[in-house]
Amino acid sequence: MLDLTKIDFKKMGFRAGIEVHHQINTKRKLFCHCKPVLSHGEPDYRFERYFRPVLGEMGDFDEGMLIEYEKGYRVIYHAYEDSVCVYEQDEQPPFWPDNEAIYLGFELAHWLNFSALVDEVVVSRKQYLDGSITTGFQRTMIVARDGWVPIRGKKLRISNLTVEEDSARKIKTENFGRTVYYNLDRLGMPLVEVITDHNDCDNPQDLQRAAEYIGLTLRLSGIGKRGLGVVRQDVNISIRGGHRVELKGVQDLSTFVDLAAREVARQDMLIKIAAMLKERIFKKKELEHTYIDLTDKFAEKNIPKNSVIMGIRLPKFGNLLGLEIQPSKDFGQDIIEKAELISGIPRSNLFHSDEIYKKAFRKLREKTLRKRKEQFQENIFFPLVTDKLDKDIRKTLKLKKEDGYFLALGPQTWVVHAMKKIIERAKMALDGVPLETRRFLPDNNSEFLRVIHGQDRLYPDTDTPPIDMDIQKIEELKKKVQKRPWEWETEFKEKYDLDYLKVKAMIRHETITTVQDLIEKFKLNPKKCYCFIEEILLALRREGFDTSKLTIERTAEIIKGAEDGVYDFNQVSNIAKTIINDPQKSLKQALSDLKIRKISDTELQKLFAEALSQLTKFKDEKIAAKDGSINNRIADKITGTIMRRTNGSISGKTVYDFVLEKLEGKISS
Amino acid sequence: MVKKNSETKKEEQKVVREPTGYRGKLRTRLEKEGIGVWSQVRVKKGDALYEGVILPRSQHTTEGYLVLKVDTGYNIGVKITEDTTIEEYGYKEGKYKLPDISVTFKDHLPNVTLLGTGGTVASRLDYRTGAVLPAFTPEELFSAVPELIDICNLTPKKIYSLLSENFKPEFWVKTAEAVMKEFKSGADGVIIGHGTDTMSYTGSALSFMFQNLAAPVVLVGSQRSSDRPSSDGPLNIINASHIAGYADMAEVVLCMHGGTSDSYNLIHRGTRVRKMHSSRRDAFRTISDIPLGVIDANQKVTFLKDDVKRRGDIADTWIDTKIDPKVTILYFYPGMNPDTLDAIIDKDYHGVVFVGTGLGHVNTDMYPALSRAQEEEIPICIVVEPLYGFTNLRVYETGRDMLAKGVFEGANMLPSTAYAKMIWTLGHTRDVKEVEKIMTTNIAGEITNKEMNKGYMLMQGVEPGLDELLKKINPNPREHTWPGSKEK
Repeated sequence: MLDLTKIDFKKMGFRAGIEVHHQINTKRKLFCHCKPVLSHGEPDYRFERYFRPVLGEMGDFDEGMLIEYEKGYRVIYHAYEDSVCVYEQDEQPPFWPDNEAIYLGFELAHWLNFSALVDEVVVSRKQYLDGSITTGFQRTMIVARDGWVPIRGKKLRISNLTVEEDSARKIKTENFGRTVYYNLDRLGMPLVEVITDHNDCDNPQDLQRAAEYIGLTLRLSGIGKRGLGVVRQDVNISIRGGHRVELKGVQDLSTFVDLAAREVARQDMLIKIAAMLKERIFKKKELEHTYIDLTDKFAEKNIPKNSVIMGIRLPKFGNLLGLEIQPSKDFGQDIIEKAELISGIPRSNLFHSDEIYKKAFRKLREKTLRKRKEQFQENIFFPLVTDKLDKDIRKTLKLKKEDGYFLALGPQTWVVHAMKKIIERAKMALDGVPLETRRFLPDNNSEFLRVIHGQDRLYPDTDTPPIDMDIQKIEELKKKVQKRPWEWETEFKEKYDLDYLKVKAMIRHETITTVQDLIEKFKLNPKKCYCFIEEILLALRREGFDTSKLTIERTAEIIKGAEDGVYDFNQVSNIAKTIINDPQKSLKQALSDLKIRKISDTELQKLFAEALSQLTKFKDEKIAAKDGSINNRIADKITGTIMRRTNGSISGKTVYDFVLEKLEGKISS
Repeated sequence: MVKKNSETKKEEQKVVREPTGYRGKLRTRLEKEGIGVWSQVRVKKGDALYEGVILPRSQHTTEGYLVLKVDTGYNIGVKITEDTTIEEYGYKEGKYKLPDISVTFKDHLPNVTLLGTGGTVASRLDYRTGAVLPAFTPEELFSAVPELIDICNLTPKKIYSLLSENFKPEFWVKTAEAVMKEFKSGADGVIIGHGTDTMSYTGSALSFMFQNLAAPVVLVGSQRSSDRPSSDGPLNIINASHIAGYADMAEVVLCMHGGTSDSYNLIHRGTRVRKMHSSRRDAFRTISDIPLGVIDANQKVTFLKDDVKRRGDIADTWIDTKIDPKVTILYFYPGMNPDTLDAIIDKDYHGVVFVGTGLGHVNTDMYPALSRAQEEEIPICIVVEPLYGFTNLRVYETGRDMLAKGVFEGANMLPSTAYAKMIWTLGHTRDVKEVEKIMTTNIAGEITNKEMNKGYMLMQGVEPGLDELLKKINPNPREHTWPGSKEK
């Protein structure tokens, strides 16, 4: 088994960048006047399209685009009259872009220290043939280059900031993934894309921090839209000797380190496989597009009508296909996933020669799922390919001992397509890590999504002339920049000893200025202020209290009462509730209503004596345990009694410490 | 080809730097510094550093900005001030060319010619205007739409490169002659790639010019530009090729998307079709009738009308291209001043198509001008502003007055059709009575003697059952083909 914990990122030459795509707050969509809202339920209308690649500006077809075209998607759109117009249908040229959105991009550029702002914005088209954009290209414009965020004393560069339209939401796929459904509501909503420099980050923790800083900046500045699904993050990762691989759809930043480790492991193993192939003196030309029909080796009943089974030789790939490249996933599987996505042959109809072994990962997985009684698509070949048949197949394919093979079942043209892709992918094995865009799977492994898109898929939008920006206005946007997340972080650490996690929470919940006002203006204890605002009020909101009824003055009054010792801090929640229920109520009245009073030391002493005598008198409890230490049970019981009798006016911890101290005294005396 | 390549190489060695499209001070400066388009440069302005390839600047843009393609593939504009420095560090020329596909014709496939007039299936960017220009060689075409290879032996020929608004009646003649030439050389059908704006005018004109047409002439274009992955152009050309090569039909037709989906195309009779939307794929509609036919996602053709003219012997086909373009269209509106018509008479026009309100009326102010036209023997054909329905100048007194002043009814001809027909008719006779006779006789389906109920299908979005219809997807979609797997 792969041990991900042993990965030393720096030693592996880890490099990573992140692309943060965040929707921004505007009144309309970027290129039309539809409201940027999501729609649900039965659509008002549907339509369908097919896409094909066009040339890039420098005159080349983008390799990635050709592969996309090969997938041959039929795309069906769901559209709603309230969020979609003829523009999203790609039935009319764009309206003039929303200037407000473009200026928000420039404002964000100031927040993130960009130095090269664009004076004249050129709308570009970025090709997408997956159907997620009805035109087949995303309209996007770069507004600034060369920004940075500070990470552990160093500048982590941000190379580009773009403003662009969002894509449609994928609903589902059918017909072996060949038919794709999209909801058009999200298409055209404006978003910013912030891209960090791949070379500036050598460990996943720093990348996570950079991503968080960018997200927090969007929150602090009010530029980012709030809500579910407003942010999507893609990372790109490489290691020494590997290649930049794009990984799409990081959901949760906390999984970052694990995701990165799995990609590092994969690239590392692919590099090792390339080395092993070289050792076996493998040449790419040994891989031939010769697909051999093996249908008659299988019993007819196992083969659906109009389908064939074909095999293909992979010279010198024997025992390489079974190598683990990510936890519980072998090299052969990585190839199978790509063949499935492009050809449409489901992976359960594909098989590689190292899966003859009982411990093949996919076999083990089927076993687990079967044990758990879960529904899954069983691999057609696992029960069919016996050792005997394996030998027979190897003979028919004229394989030597160090050779491998793949099998596929399906309609002939599909099978041939899949085999072609397998050969293409196998050839790449000699070069180590292919340039790919991959998508994350629920287990944090990843699989092939498409060939990485090159710059040839970008060309200027002929529908919108270049927009000269108001340079004066852009300059003035600098005034909107306030304290940035990393500045808050330093300040809170140095002045109040509140750490980054707390700062992060306060920025996310937009409470950080309130907390600072409580500390600075009302001279209150920073930790207590944080605790009240972030923990106590949050709990109250969960209980259904409208905490907005609590003004900052009332909040300060409540915290101050505890600090002055009028009551214990553990009472502030109850006091807050009382005041929220009747905001006119004075603090004194609230305390009186709650029967909260100050307990003096003398009273506490008295209560202790009473509780102790009750216990020793009626229950015959011993103060000391056998080993001479304090009997914990008796300490707990006394504390409980005192707490009940003081109605919680004093904190449990204070009482407990008091009780322990007194008991200690009793034992030693 | 080889020669051409070496030539380009030589040019590169000369290191000519042309600041294409740049004007004014910036141009002077670039010329002085020997920097031009395709130069790789570093531009420094204050703290900012911009790096990229200089692209040509389009016309009608603000002076003083340098357009750079940066490493990510994006373009940006940088305002060049006096203290901005521009330093060249390399040169990278963009060459725009679709990869060639060599094609061998197959005996069993029909021969089809695609005549290019400016409408395109593949196109490229024009840096001068920032707009789209056609790319039009056989290789480019097959590279952009490889499916065509298996449909027919398609020979593309460029006759002109025109935006369709720049078409003139003379070009209709040249187009008809070019089509005829292809038929004589053995084409089983001819496709005309055409800009969509005036496609129906050309369709009408050709309909009148071709006599005893024995094979299909299909006009085709794209509503959504062919430089986009979602263009309707490729499917339109595939369908048009199929009709030209296989359909048992011998008429001048337009073949464009029937709906917003890539699911079926409509086959419209050239004389009955009109562009009804400025940008939608399904802009073309047959007016006051249903289309001739439909071709589905798998190129199955179904004819919907029983008067479709079938294929015949191409030897019988001839073209009658006599025209007189001195014709105009007038569009009547409330308060229209008769001096508009007077001016046309003064300018010695030979015929007028007058678009009248409702059943075809103009105001009484116009009467003296109408009488003058009658005296000067200028035929005036009345068609209707509502587009749907017939003219009728006998129902109201105005109409009867108008008839008395020599105008004649254009039945249910579309204005564009009546215009093309008048030009063609006047090429044959200036005799007013004769013109009226030809104009009011159906020649190529431009006049129907009845209007079916389905001829007027203008939905308003509230019709019962329509909502359900709009939610339906094509039950008979394209069968999947796998271009990648064909090459085995």
